[in-house]
Amino acid sequence: MSSIKEYLSADHSRCDELFANMEDAVSKSIDSAEDAYKLFAEATERHFQMEERVMFMEFEQKTGMTQGPTAMMRHEHSQMRNLLKEMGSAIEAKDRDKFFGYSETLMVLMQQHNMKEEQMLYTMAQQHLSAESDRIVEMMECMIAE
Amino acid sequence: MDLNGLSADQAPPISSPARLFLTAPIFGVIAGILIFLSDAGALKSRFSLESIAITHTITIGFLGFVMLGALTQMLPVLAGVSVKRVGIIAKISYIFLLFGTLFMIFGLLQNISNIILISSLFLSGGFLVMIVPMLVSLKSVASATASTRAITTSLIFAFMVIFIGAYLLSGYGIHKLSSMHLLFANIHSVWAVFGFAGVLIIGVSFHVLPMFYVAPKFKPFYMRRVVGFISAGLLLWLILNMFLDLYSIVAKIWIAALFLAFSVAVFLKLNARRRPISDITIWYWKSATLFMAFGSFSWIIDDYFNGEYAVIVSVLIGGGFLLSIMIGMLYKIVPFLVWFHLNAKGYMSIPTMNEMIDKKLTRIQFVLFVLSLAGFVFSFFISFLLPIFAALFIVSMLILEYNIVSPILIYIKILKTKPDFDMSLFLMSTEGKD
Repeated sequence: MSSIKEYLSADHSRCDELFANMEDAVSKSIDSAEDAYKLFAEATERHFQMEERVMFMEFEQKTGMTQGPTAMMRHEHSQMRNLLKEMGSAIEAKDRDKFFGYSETLMVLMQQHNMKEEQMLYTMAQQHLSAESDRIVEMMECMIAE
Repeated sequence: MDLNGLSADQAPPISSPARLFLTAPIFGVIAGILIFLSDAGALKSRFSLESIAITHTITIGFLGFVMLGALTQMLPVLAGVSVKRVGIIAKISYIFLLFGTLFMIFGLLQNISNIILISSLFLSGGFLVMIVPMLVSLKSVASATASTRAITTSLIFAFMVIFIGAYLLSGYGIHKLSSMHLLFANIHSVWAVFGFAGVLIIGVSFHVLPMFYVAPKFKPFYMRRVVGFISAGLLLWLILNMFLDLYSIVAKIWIAALFLAFSVAVFLKLNARRRPISDITIWYWKSATLFMAFGSFSWIIDDYFNGEYAVIVSVLIGGGFLLSIMIGMLYKIVPFLVWFHLNAKGYMSIPTMNEMIDKKLTRIQFVLFVLSLAGFVFSFFISFLLPIFAALFIVSMLILEYNIVSPILIYIKILKTKPDFDMSLFLMSTEGKD
């Protein structure tokens, strides 16, 4: 089974692919881009929840750091959720310029966020939670997003 | 592991990179004016005081300012480290660099010893104040990546380039050039372009291209080895230059081939990117790769003409490659910084990144910029064309300044309004302290 870092990093790449598919769909026709948007939005939300409901909680329990990096990552998740909502509204309103304005902002924010997670938080989590790594990955895999 | 980079507490205040970014195009305008007013004949020699002044208006005033600004912003994200008291350090460095560059230009053009000597002190101080703490903080990186290794290597080259530069400038200050002046000048320029700026760009591109454009990733072997290969090439070039000058072309071909390969790789990766958008930053990346391809060939060919065409090589590599990438980066980073810092302060109704800069103006700016560079190359052979292309360059830099001031003005305007959320309720501050 893959480590926490490998599993979540691979999920970042999967979300990137879905992001590109969504932009591709909008650039072809915003009228039929809703499905691609939903796929990306759902995958991203599921990723956030895998972290917030499983990995972050385990990490916080183990290290006692509840107001540290995980709090910051949660804050950035909420920023990205807002942008996702705005992108959905732009698709509903068939406003391409608005959509690409939000998607560009989300892309930069998301990549900055992913880089911080992959290079620091996941590595740190892997170090602290290596004994429970398989269990945590399994929990994330089985998790049903709310 | 240092988790400081994850906290926005450690992120530099927006003023640190912004003042460097906003000043850079002004130096671009100054360089354009100096070219416009210069004797075209004097600019054909890279060692005329006019050429040195103009070159450094661009290399320090534009490239240096943008690179330092970007580094303050990128270190916490790319390397997970933050420079302690970055706000105050960036401010001190900025003041030294600003006056150092202005004194250098004025001192060289007027040939005033004391001003040149002061500029040498100011410039080395301004760079070292930033670079040394960055190198120190990079030492604490727990798990080094290809990018952090590239940034460290680039800063080590910068460190040496600064000392050699200060030595060379002092030579002009005391009106006494040593017998090693030419050798040191060559080391200074080649290490600055390929070691400092080139390696930094390569290191950052490992992340930027796959992430921001969803382009194919660089091969792990390439990411692990290329910076080492370039560094080895630059050291070999130094040794051959000092002891076996006849064979220094071997190292030159080695370095040029590595940068040519990088350019081809970037071009192909951008063509294979998954994101369909083709914004101005893509145009700049692509033009940079084309200029680098021509630049690396002309750098080699120039060797057979005893450096007669060094000015053309400088325009292609310094202007076409380095400036293009820096301008493209400004268009990406400045609107994002504005959005990020406003959002972190609790403002939710913010224009999107795309709405902060007029797209039409970015395209006009790009066309004028590329035309002016091509024109500078032609002007080498047809001197009377030079003022026309200098004027184009000035206009392109003025538009660039307008384009990147616009998001900052939006930031200032929104900051005067009441935020949608009171972020002080959050336990963690989301803005660094100046």
